[in-house]
Amino acid sequence: MNFFRGVIGGQQAGAQPSGVETIQKLCDRVASSTLLEDRRDAVRALKSLSKKYRMEVGTQAMDHLIRILQTDSSDSEILGYALDTLYNIICSDEEEEQDESEDAAPVKSKNVAAPEDTQRRQEDDIGAQFSERFIQEPENVTLLLTMLEEFDFHVRWPGVKLLTALLKCQCAQVQGIILVSPMGVSRLMDLLADSREVIRNDGLLLLQQLTKGNAAIQKIVAFENAFERLLDIITEEGTSDGGIVVEDCLLLLLNLLKNNSSNQNFFKEGSYIQRMKPWFEVGDDNSGWSAQKVTNLHLMLQLVRVMVSPVNSPGATASCQKAMFQCGLLQQLCTILMATGVPADILTETINTVSEVIRGSQVNQDYFASVNAPSNPPRPAIVVLLMSMVNERQPFVLRCAVLYCFQCFLYKNQKGQGEIVATLLPSTIDANSISAGQLLCGGLFSADSLSNWCAAVALGHALQDNLTQKEQLLRVQLATSLGKPPVSLLQQCTNILSQGDKISRRGSKVQTRVGLLMLLCTWMSNCPIAVTHFLHNQDNVPFLTAQISENLGEDERLVQGLCALLLGICIYYNDNSLENYTKEKLKQLIEKRIGKENFVEKLGFITKHELYSRAAQKPQPAFSAPEHMLFDHEFTKLVKELEGVITKAVHKSSEEEKKEEEVKKTLEQHDSIVTQYKELIREQDAQINELKEQMCTLTSQKDQMQNTITQQLSQIQQHKDQYNVLKLKLGKDSGQSDSGQVNGLQLEELTLLREELEELRKQHALLNTQLAERDTLIANLKAEGVQSPDGLTAAPENTELLKELESLRGQVQTQAAEISQLQRERQEVQTRTEALAAVSGEAADLTKVTELENRLSAQTAETNRLQEEVRSLTESRAAMEKERAAATSTATILQTEKSKLQQEVAESKKEQDDLLMLLADQDQKILSLKQRLKDLGETIEDEDDLDARDQFDDDDDEEEEDDE
Amino acid sequence: MAYAYLFKYIIIGDTGVGKSCLLLQFTDKRFQPVHDLTIGVEFGARMITIDGKQIKLQIWDTAGQESFRSITRSYYRGAAGALLVYDITRRDTFNHLTTWLEDARQHSNSNMVIMLIGNKSDLESRREVKKEEGEAFAREHGLIFMETSAKTASNVEEAFINTAKEIYEKIQEGVFDINNEANGIKIGPQHAATNSTLTGGQGGQQAGGGCC
Ligand SMILES: Nc1nc2c(ncn2[C@@H]2O[C@H](COP(=O)(O)OP(=O)(O)OP(=O)(O)O)[C@@H](O)[C@H]2O)c(=O)[nH]1
Ligand SMILES: [Mg+2]
Repeated sequence: MNFFRGVIGGQQAGAQPSGVETIQKLCDRVASSTLLEDRRDAVRALKSLSKKYRMEVGTQAMDHLIRILQTDSSDSEILGYALDTLYNIICSDEEEEQDESEDAAPVKSKNVAAPEDTQRRQEDDIGAQFSERFIQEPENVTLLLTMLEEFDFHVRWPGVKLLTALLKCQCAQVQGIILVSPMGVSRLMDLLADSREVIRNDGLLLLQQLTKGNAAIQKIVAFENAFERLLDIITEEGTSDGGIVVEDCLLLLLNLLKNNSSNQNFFKEGSYIQRMKPWFEVGDDNSGWSAQKVTNLHLMLQLVRVMVSPVNSPGATASCQKAMFQCGLLQQLCTILMATGVPADILTETINTVSEVIRGSQVNQDYFASVNAPSNPPRPAIVVLLMSMVNERQPFVLRCAVLYCFQCFLYKNQKGQGEIVATLLPSTIDANSISAGQLLCGGLFSADSLSNWCAAVALGHALQDNLTQKEQLLRVQLATSLGKPPVSLLQQCTNILSQGDKISRRGSKVQTRVGLLMLLCTWMSNCPIAVTHFLHNQDNVPFLTAQISENLGEDERLVQGLCALLLGICIYYNDNSLENYTKEKLKQLIEKRIGKENFVEKLGFITKHELYSRAAQKPQPAFSAPEHMLFDHEFTKLVKELEGVITKAVHKSSEEEKKEEEVKKTLEQHDSIVTQYKELIREQDAQINELKEQMCTLTSQKDQMQNTITQQLSQIQQHKDQYNVLKLKLGKDSGQSDSGQVNGLQLEELTLLREELEELRKQHALLNTQLAERDTLIANLKAEGVQSPDGLTAAPENTELLKELESLRGQVQTQAAEISQLQRERQEVQTRTEALAAVSGEAADLTKVTELENRLSAQTAETNRLQEEVRSLTESRAAMEKERAAATSTATILQTEKSKLQQEVAESKKEQDDLLMLLADQDQKILSLKQRLKDLGETIEDEDDLDARDQFDDDDDEEEEDDE
Repeated sequence: MAYAYLFKYIIIGDTGVGKSCLLLQFTDKRFQPVHDLTIGVEFGARMITIDGKQIKLQIWDTAGQESFRSITRSYYRGAAGALLVYDITRRDTFNHLTTWLEDARQHSNSNMVIMLIGNKSDLESRREVKKEEGEAFAREHGLIFMETSAKTASNVEEAFINTAKEIYEKIQEGVFDINNEANGIKIGPQHAATNSTLTGGQGGQQAGGGCC
């Protein structure tokens, strides 16, 4: 409260006493009036005073206004006035314009401020204080959130503005309250769907504030489909040609994605990278580059960079880079790169963006190497860019961007490194066109220190972690002035270092020398041949020792440190091939000329330099001014790696060195032992791999076998089923239903056959008796002339029997065929099983296989058993068949007998006929004899009898006639 | 790349039950033995195939710790599916299911498909909650149920896929309003072209699939 009084005191001169009184009266009315209209008028009046008497209205009316929000929620008009008033006291309009440019916290004072600034700060403080008072009750914020659900424009709009203002003043606290209120964030997201542009646009500003520095809210906003909606709005508004709304959307997108890997992942997985591509279809039709368009495009490029930033996890960056190539975004960016008329800062940012899209991604780097500028003749983009890098007239930031691009092109790109170095080698040099190598050499030795530095660093990147190229580059010879022999590139670099003062250069001498020394250090580290090359020139070591030991000014200290590093590299990577410059001799030299302590101190100058740590932070070369361009990011890594080991190497005495040498020897022995072991391990590895492969094939074989077994099992089951069906059929054939047992079946069948036989025999006997009867009959007939018709029925009976037999035989045959089919299948199954068993024999040492084998043999046994069964069945079948054959032969015998009988019957019939004929004759004779006897007048006693015999057929008639 | 549908999932449940591990196993086929406490929410995604259709799953893995509960609540409404996870070796995580379920039911849309998951089924020797208990709880509350192991990957695919199948069926039945993205479902570019015939064509398509 003290604060308020202070501020009031300060402003009292401006505030009329009548104003304060009026405000007090209005507040009373708001608090006590029972009429809504009254309260509404009072709040409206407060609103109109709230700008002029901000302090007074705020102090006196805030609580009343909050109460209005709570109690008068049904009247949107009064709510609107209250919200407007609260907005006015928390946020002054002028402040609103200003805040955009300042990202830092609103309360910030460092320098002695100008009077206007003091005034502004005071007003900011007022806003902060009032907003603090407002959010002291978190329910007030929750209340405001519910207010935002009100569709009425007069409520929603001031509500949005008020919440935005609160967020600006008390960001973290308000964020916290919104985060814990149910659906808080989600409700705010709905603002983007409002059809009234003002609300949607102010909603964007609100969300910008809401998402500032709060990862949890950023994620919820993303979850609520923010990406989709924002990208839609950007498209609707005409992408880069759109107005400030596009800018606001882009700023919000940046908030959501920057340093938020979860959201980045969501953005990538939602295929939103693909939707960025059309943003960059600006091509050559640069009808105009409005300030808004430049801003929009700038933010769009930044968004791309956020997704592929070198600080992201390598995996995440790699997948985004891949997506950017696949959807053609990289290609689109390269088109901008080569287009004409693109504003310099857009071009610069595009170069930076392309850099990060290709960094460490082979596919993208290869694509970039293939891009040509649409010039005549077409030149590689890389060459065109390098031309800008070594061109003094180009803007500094652009040159830095090109260097970054070149670095990113070569980062983890051995192929690219080789291609760049090749353009300098005598065998592959192309004299007809400008090459990257030529441009770099030109830059290295130009009169512009910035070009020197950039070219040196660029060339260093072509050698980074690449021993082959370090050695290749040693072959490069340069033609100097006429008549003099060519000089190696390595030597030319040291020459410039040592003669630095003789050429007049633009820019800073230090920059040139630092650049060249960094190149030499990079080149010679880890490359003993390059060290030998360097030491071979008698002038080089004295130059270095002189530089290090001299007492030079402040700005030369870095050069001294780098010289110490280079000398250290000459010791550390020395293979002792030059007698004058062995490790030992160089160390003695240091001790004598410089002093160990002094040397180490000078070496330490590098990391102590104020610009060192900044360069160590990130790969992009970003310098506030050209003269700050001293350290390369990759180089800082090298220093970190070497400083310690060189210090150690220099400090070691010769005895220690000897000891170390010995240790090294034993180590080497150890090494050889280790190598042996390694060899062994490698062999074993190979064996293991082989075994693993075997295991794999065996496993798959096992699987196959298991499959086969399953198949076989099912086949066997099928066979069993078939077998059972056969059994059943067999049972039925024999006239019996389901007899389960084979033996039983056979017995029954035998019995049946026997019965049949018996039947046949009976028939036979019957026939025999019939025959006998017939015989007697014949005999009778012979004797009496009487016939028996019975014998005639024997023939059809016999035919039936034959038919039956025939069909039985057929059935037996088909069954026999089925059985042999079954047998064949069984045979097949067996051979397959045996084959499998053979295969599994190979894997006898593996338990799994053994287990399998066991199962297999069980299977085989089962199969055998079944086979056995089938065999015995077949046997019994054969036996039955025999019996059947026997029965058939019996039948045949019977048949012959029968036919004999038939014949006999026929014969006897014939005999009968004959007899009948005879009888008839005799009758005739008797009749004629009778007639003759009659004629002779003789009486016949037997006439009736004879008549009856005579008229055999008309017997009944006769009798009837007799009856009548 | 192109998908027919996109479903949003959330994974909820007490801290340490293995939510993040389940997601990691599903998206990366890896297991993380150390408890890397989730702060807030983490995102993961994967494509699956159901009924011959590509379906993109976007999954939000939430923090189980009490202090993050209000953040977790912000994710219920927009999700089409939820995996509610407990640890079969810790009965308290099972006992808390009711609270979780109440929270979910209160803040989600009513059609959200909930899959109950008893995780760490590989730790049979330390089991404190019987499978039958999980089944009973699920039956009682109308949830689908499954025991999983994020360590051995057992049933992990199934858990995510079966949830998707359930959602897919609900779409076929017309229960979900697929045109309202707030339900956690989005029609993919594959479908968008035939969008106009969607309601009519859907049933026909389904019948066609049935007779093949
Ligand atoms: N044996 C076994 N351990 C598991 C399994 N799933 C998870 N764990 C272990 O359980 C611990 C917790 O797993 P997290 O996935 O990090 O747990 P969380 O549910 O995400 O926990 P919060 O993020 O705090 O909510 C880790 O140590 C995992 O290794 C499983 O299926 N079997
Ligand atoms: Mg977790």
